[in-house]
Formats: sequence, C-alpha cells, structure tokens
Amino acid sequence: MTAKRVLSVLSGAIVLAATLTGCGSDSGSTSGGETLNVLIGANTIYPEQQRKWFADISARFQRESGATVEFETFASPNDELTKIQTSVLSGQGPDIYAIGTTFTPTVYATGAFLELTPDDWTKLGGRDRFLPATLGISGPDRDHEVGVPFTTRPFVMAYNRELLTAAGIDKPAESWDGLREQAKRLSTGGRYGMAIGYADSFDPWKFIWAMSLQAGNPLVGDGKARLDEPVVRTAYQTYLGWLATDKVVDPAAVGWKNAQAIAAFGAGRAAFLPMVSATSKVTLDASAVAGKYGYAVMPTIPPGATARPGGGQDATSILSGDNLVVAKYTRQRDLALALVKLLTSPEQQRDYYQTFGELPTDASAAAALQADPALAAMVDSSARSVATPFSGAWSQVQLALVNVVVQSVPGLSAGRVDDARLGTLLTEAQSSAQAALDKAK
Amino acid sequence: MTVRESAPTRGAAGPAPRPGGRGTATSGRGTVTRLLPAPLRVLVLGVLLVVVLAPVLYMLFASVSSDLSVAEGAFLPTSLDLGNYLRIWSTVELGRGLVNSLLVAGAVAAVCAFVALGSAYVLVRYAFRGRLAILRGLLALQSIPGTLMLLPVFVLFASAAQLLGVPVIGTRWALFVTYLTFALPFSTWVMVTYLRGLPPELDEAARVDGASAWQVLTRVILPLSWPGLVVAGIFALLLGWNDVLFASVLTNPDSRTAAVALQVFGATQEGGAIPVYGQMMAAALVCAAPVVVLYLVFQRYLISGLTAGGVK
Amino acid sequence: MPGAVPPYRRVQRHRPLWMLAPGAVLTILVVVVPLVVALHISLLDLDQYSFRQWVRAPFVGLANYTEAVRASGTVHAIVLSTSYAAIVTVVTLPIGVAAALATQDRFRGRGLVRSIFLVPYVLPAFVVGTVWRIILQPDGVANGLLARLGLDGGLWLNGPRSFWALVVVQIWASWPLLYLLALAGLQAVDPVLHEAAALDGAGWWTKLRYVIFPHLRGPVSLAVIIAFLHNINNFTLPFVLFGVPSPRDVEVLPVLTYVESFQNFRFGLSAAMAVLSLVLIAVPLAAYLRAVRLDVGPDGAAEGSRP
Repeated sequence: MTAKRVLSVLSGAIVLAATLTGCGSDSGSTSGGETLNVLIGANTIYPEQQRKWFADISARFQRESGATVEFETFASPNDELTKIQTSVLSGQGPDIYAIGTTFTPTVYATGAFLELTPDDWTKLGGRDRFLPATLGISGPDRDHEVGVPFTTRPFVMAYNRELLTAAGIDKPAESWDGLREQAKRLSTGGRYGMAIGYADSFDPWKFIWAMSLQAGNPLVGDGKARLDEPVVRTAYQTYLGWLATDKVVDPAAVGWKNAQAIAAFGAGRAAFLPMVSATSKVTLDASAVAGKYGYAVMPTIPPGATARPGGGQDATSILSGDNLVVAKYTRQRDLALALVKLLTSPEQQRDYYQTFGELPTDASAAAALQADPALAAMVDSSARSVATPFSGAWSQVQLALVNVVVQSVPGLSAGRVDDARLGTLLTEAQSSAQAALDKAK
Repeated sequence: MTVRESAPTRGAAGPAPRPGGRGTATSGRGTVTRLLPAPLRVLVLGVLLVVVLAPVLYMLFASVSSDLSVAEGAFLPTSLDLGNYLRIWSTVELGRGLVNSLLVAGAVAAVCAFVALGSAYVLVRYAFRGRLAILRGLLALQSIPGTLMLLPVFVLFASAAQLLGVPVIGTRWALFVTYLTFALPFSTWVMVTYLRGLPPELDEAARVDGASAWQVLTRVILPLSWPGLVVAGIFALLLGWNDVLFASVLTNPDSRTAAVALQVFGATQEGGAIPVYGQMMAAALVCAAPVVVLYLVFQRYLISGLTAGGVK
Repeated sequence: MPGAVPPYRRVQRHRPLWMLAPGAVLTILVVVVPLVVALHISLLDLDQYSFRQWVRAPFVGLANYTEAVRASGTVHAIVLSTSYAAIVTVVTLPIGVAAALATQDRFRGRGLVRSIFLVPYVLPAFVVGTVWRIILQPDGVANGLLARLGLDGGLWLNGPRSFWALVVVQIWASWPLLYLLALAGLQAVDPVLHEAAALDGAGWWTKLRYVIFPHLRGPVSLAVIIAFLHNINNFTLPFVLFGVPSPRDVEVLPVLTYVESFQNFRFGLSAAMAVLSLVLIAVPLAAYLRAVRLDVGPDGAAEGSRP
C-alpha cells in the first residue's frame, strides 16, 4: 500500500514537473546562433504594431548577423527601474535597454553600462549623424557617453482651433502670462481654458522645470539644489494658480493624470492641452476634436515677465525621448552595437516614425520630415529642447518637485495657493534634493 | 476500526453521491443546522452582494463602453461593444498569461495544500522541542514585506543559475518555488487551526492499530480535511494568481503570468494617450473568471468533514 | 478505545518530523537566506553609485537605522500603517463572520453566492486599485452618486479623506479573507452540537454565542492576525490608488520603503526601514499570540507544562 502511495505521489510530481517546464519556457534553444535581449517600453497605443515591429527587426537582424533578437517589454517607468536594478545587481539580464532620457543620468551613475569609445561611435555609423540636440543627455560630457539617441518625443501644446477662433484668438500666446489671459477668455460655458493633469506622476515637474529655466534657474547646478528660490516659487504659484485662483482648469483636474487631461481636451472641454507629445495624435484624431486642433510650442517667456530675462533659456521642452544603452555585462558587445546601429539607421527611424509617431534622432531621417506641416511644432520644439541636469540624483530631485504639487493639491479647493504652506514644502523639497545631490558621486 | 468507516458514512448519509448533497434527505437536519434567522440571512446576503457587485458591475459596463466615456466618469454603458473581449486575446496576450498562471498557481495550490497538511499534522499531533517556535515563526514570516525580499530573492536565483548552469530566472520553476515558499506558512496555519478542530481520538485509534504516520495522514486525516485543504489551496492559488511584484522581475515574455500581462497592458506610459479602460476591465474580468469557477467547483468540499456517527 | 486516552495528549515517539522537511528546506532557501542578505544590506550604504558591486558597498553600521528613525516619514508611516491596518481588520471581522454564517445555511444558489463573495479577493490588487481610482476621481462615479443625493463629494484621493478612501477600498478587497477562514472553521462544528442546541431550545443568538463562536475562535484569531499583517504590508493598493509621490495622509510604510529603494535607490535605508517595521510589528504580534493563545492552541496550559 505504502509503495503504491509513494508511486502515485511520484507520478504526480513528474506530471507537475512536466507541466511547469513545458512548452515555451525553453524557446531560446531553437536556434544555434547568439541571442540578444532587448528591454523596451510596452507601447499601449500600438500594441499590435509593436509586436509586428519586434518580429520584423528580429527577422532582419537574423538575416544580417545570424543572431536572434528577443524583445521584452516593461509596463511603466517604475517597472523599468526595478528591472534595471535587479539586472545590474545580479549581473544578468537584457543586453540592450531603451530608457527614457531623464533616466539616463541615473543609469549612468550605476556604472553598469557601456561608455561609448570613439571606436564604438564609428561602429554605430558616426556620432555626427545624430541630431546634436538629441545627444544632449547621452552622458555627463563627450568622453563619457552611454546613451545612443533612439527616438525623440518633444513636448508641445495642443490647442482647439475652433474654440480659439470663436474667442477671437489667432494663435497661442508665447508667454505663460499671456497663455493665462487667453485661458481666462476661453473659460466659459462649461469649458475650461486648459486641461492639466495635476495628479500625474511626471507632468508637474516638467512645467516647474521649464518655467524656472526660462527665468534663468536650471534647479540644479554645481552640485547645489536651487529649489527654494523666488522664481521656483512663482512657477508653482502659476501652475497651481491656474486651478485655484484663475479658475481656468476644471476643478476635477486635481485627480487627473495626463491621460484624463487628454480625454478632457479630446471631448472638447478644454481649449489648451499643454505638455503632450506626438503620441497624443492618435487619440485626438479619434476624438471629438479630430481635425479641429493643432499643435504649438509651449510658452517660453517665464511667468511674471513679458520678455525672457537675461540668463533665461529658450526651452520649449525637456529633452525627451529614449536612449539605447548597452549593459556592461553583455557577452556580445559588438553584436549589441550592430543592433543599435540597425535600430538608429535612417531607414529604421523613418519606419519607426511612420508606425509609432515618434520622431527620428538621425539627422538625415529628421530632415526628411521637416516638410510635414502637422509636425512643425514638434520639430521646432525638438530643436529647442533643453536637457535636464545630468546628475545621478536627478530622479530624486524630480520626485521632490512633484511632491510639492501632490501635497499642495488638498489646499487648492480653498480657492488660493497657500503661500506659507508652499514655502514649507519648498524648503523640504530643497533639503531632500540637496541631500540626494550630496550623495552623488 | 471506527475511524475507517467515517469517510464512507458521509456519502451514505444522503442519496446524493457528492459530499455537497449530504444532509438534504436527513429529516429535520436542514432546520436544526440553521445559523441565522431567514430575514437576517437575506439582509446580510443582500447588502454584501450589492457592495461586492456594484464595482464589478461598473467594470462590466466599462468593458463594453468607449474609453472616452469611461475617462469622463460615466457609470452606465454608453455603448455595447463586445469587441474588447475579443481584442484582449491579442493585445494583452491573455491566453499565454492565463496558461502560465493556471500552471504555476495551480501547481502551487496543490503542492502547498498537501505539504501544509503534512506539516500541520506533525505540529498539531506530535510534541517536540521547537514546536511552538515553529508555529510562531510561521506567523512571523507573514509579516515580512515583499518589497524587502524582492532584490535578495532575485540575487539568490541569479546566483543559483550561475552555480547550476541552468536558467532559473524567466522559468516557471522560479515562480513556483517562490510562491510555494511564500504560501506555505499561511497554508500550514490554516491546516493547523483546522486539524485542531478534529478530535484526536480519530487518529489515535488508527495509531493504536499500528498504522504508520503516513498511513494515518493519508487515510484518516486527509479524507476529513477537504474543507481545510480547499481553503489552504485557494489562498496559495491566489497568492500566485495576483502577485505582480515578483512575477514582473522573475518572468520573461514566455513565462509571464496573466497578472503581469494585465499590468503591462494597463500601465500608461509617459506622454501616452488615454488608457484603454475597456480592454483593461474586460481582461481583468476574464482573469478573475477561472478562479471564481474553480472555487465554484471546489466549494462543494466546504462542508463539515465530521459526521454525527463517526466517532462519538 | 478512543475514550480511554486523555484528550489532547501529543505523541512523543515515532514522530514523523520528516514531514516538516519540505517546508523547512524551502523556507531556509527562499526566505531565511534572502532575509539575511536583506539584513546585511540594511547595514550598507547601498545606492545607485555602489549597487553594481553591492558586496563592496561601504559598511555603515547602524547609520541607516538612525537615519530611518530621524527621518520624519518613518514614524508617521508606522503610525499610519498600524492604524489603517487595525481599522480595516476590526471592520472586516464582523463582515466576514456574518457572511460565513449566512452562506453556511443551505439555500438555492448558495454555491454561486459563495463564489461571488470571493470576487474582490480574486481580482489582482492593482486592478482593484485602478477600478477604485476611476470610481473615486473628483468627477468620477462615486461623486456623481453623492451629488445626486445632494452631497458634495470632494476630494478622495488626496487630502485627509484619502486615508478613509484607502480604508474603504481595503475593506472591500480584503473581507473575503476573514470570510473564507470563518467558513472553513464552521465546517469543523460537529452537527451533533446543533441538535443539542435545538433540544435545549436555544435561540439563534444563544446558539451562535455559546455553540458556534467557540469553534470559530481558532480560525478567526488566525484570520485576524493574517488580515492585519496583509493590510500592514499592502503595497500595491495604496501605490495604484494614490501613486508616488504619495499624499502625506496615505504615505504608508510599504510605499515609503518602495520609494526609498526603487525610486531613490537608497536600498540600505529602505531595508533598514523595513527591518525596523518588522521589529515593531513583532511586539504587538507576540502580545496578540499570548492573548488569544493561538500559538499554543486551546489546550495551551496543559501542554506548556509538558515539553
């Protein structure tokens, strides 16, 4: 009896082992060649096209080099971060990562990614073939670059042409104060001047950074945080004031992420939609405002000014997009560089733009797109994008900046921006940003 | 051997062969075992059903509405588009995710329930040094936050892979071992509390007759433990079914579980467009369905393992 | 004969301790070893600059612990987590028991109702979080409903009320845990007891109070402690509901440690915070075990004297 029991338990275990090990989990063993693993953000707007693109690239690279490419996707920036941390910590994982531009300094700080030598750049087809602006956040200086520009996604502002015409406004203002006045005129009849995602985890800091930079304060410089200066405070007051005092934003926007702001604009309930990229085009073309909206660069004259002060920068957007980085632990360095070259080749970049709407980083591919009027604002903004400070502590600075908005939101329903509270929050943000910078190496 | 008979007696009590059917035929049993007066029972069930189903209904409505209307806060469906239920199979890659989830979580549930039964049996029926320490330790293990364990577990698997020369991360085995270990303490405790409710005379009699511990466990304890095993198994299953934290770093696209596939799909990206709520809700409901059905099947075993005539 | 053996005596010979082996091996490999690694990490200055070769990260002793205690967030987070977990547990207890009692009685469609009750627990936490976040938006369904009743909903996902939003959603999502364990406990009640209660002419409440509840004591005591620990360690729900950076009123411990390690790269500090919270939880845990005698079982006193 016991033997029979043992036997049945054993057979159960064998069945279990078979099912767990079964189909799929050993797909790497099919081809004899090398395998490259690439980690890239999941494209939620074009999931099917992305899968097709994966297959196309794999097939093409297989033809060219005999190696297999396997793509893995991450869901969110947090996911990406976790994946990078676990891979770096254990010294195994994807060979190539497509990472966000603002995240490049943090990735560089780990020292786990390949610094590109002049020789490497040659293998990639030359550093010169990339748009100079897109190289702005590849490394701390020319000799220590890790990121190869892959796509660029400059931020612009969508506006509802119909609503603007009805209000007698011929084009969006070039100063933040002007934009506010226009938004006030447009806030009538259940519509609002602007759609803003106050609860977004990333949008808020981009506004504050842009306004501060335009006023001459890049927030971080020479290892010192400058978050408690008057221009930063003015930036917050302007950004929060749109909702609290100017009433040009739907009060419900305190709970919005970027997606809901796009939805509100798409439903025709807001005239301006600042801080969107070309990827919003798909959604808007399928919405109620299709054919009635346009894109423009965001204002570059800081709040409280009619002209940009001396020292202020003409920044339309953060330098946004994706860089490709190669892990130091890779066993196929040259193969990885060959794939990066393929991914950034003019032909692939054009193809990528046509499929996903993300702009090329290759100069010749970008020049070919210049003529498209629908893209004028993006191309303009791309050239006038400014890189965020190259510091390993930038993620923490970013978090501190957003935190000020998050903690200010409950007070906004009172109809004013509480100055004392804002002061306290800025002091906290300054000290946590400075603490992070002090640890930077 | 009074004990031996206890299991068959259960089925014999009523005409229905399934354990779930027991009791219906026994005269008077139905009213005698009533726990709550009918009006109170209806009230409790009614309120809970409304509370549970309202958000679920909202998900159902959202899954057939347009994404823009969901983003605008509509409750009732604005359209009836069942296309989302077709789309998710290719966009979310739900099919492969569900297969992986079922394999991993199902295996965890089955193995965990039985390993837990064995451990609990020893812990409840035998005296040995360190027994209390183990019982307390099992509870203490429950208080370790997952975020603390994530990196070390990953490093452990990575080193194991290097040492053994076989891939570990990305395989279903890595997930199976992780979930099994994390589920064991709780499942063991579920079985401990359950076995404590069983009269010790049952197995003592068998032991007096010279049965080995293994025989007592499989022939006396096991048949009486189904309600506990089902609950312990369900908890183990759900742990694997719902986890995203570990699965997101321990899987690759081939071994990805449904929960991770869902999250990858559901997370919006920086500068992205409006999320596809409809498909998200449809996929979430489809993901939940297998577990609900499994429970529907297994809840039959959630009836008293003891019978009136068994021992006393 | 069974009656001749004194009840609750545990056997001391021929103990099949090997049955504990699978669990022990797994636990040592997958829990104890990583936990030791985590403890070690909490003594290191491990950040984005040093984690590539983490073994060589500078050893800083208890510096992370002092920083964790001094940092304003930690104490606040511990208080917040504990009170939120306690409230949720206390509220879900009667709900779970009532649901178990109501579905123990036979009625048509009982299997379906039992399964439906499981739904909140079956949905992955991030789905629950996403759905409720959409519902609780300022212009969402919940406020729409309140407005119809003439109430101003206001802000649920930030500000002081966010705490209660978290409590409500967690109650919705977690009560089936108590329900399931209470239901399993009910199956251990000997039907003879029902007949005895009926013969005595006991009312339903008397029967519950004196016949049924004593049987539920073990499973429910277990459910309470597990529910509390799950609540206190719940990361996904607050993370998805409120995002990071988190509003201060819901900056619970798991979110804080997650942000420190996975966003700020302060792995050492984060591990120290988590270890600190582990130690802090251990105190009430031990007190609770002593109070409900869960660890020693109902026969605790007799057994304690007999090692």
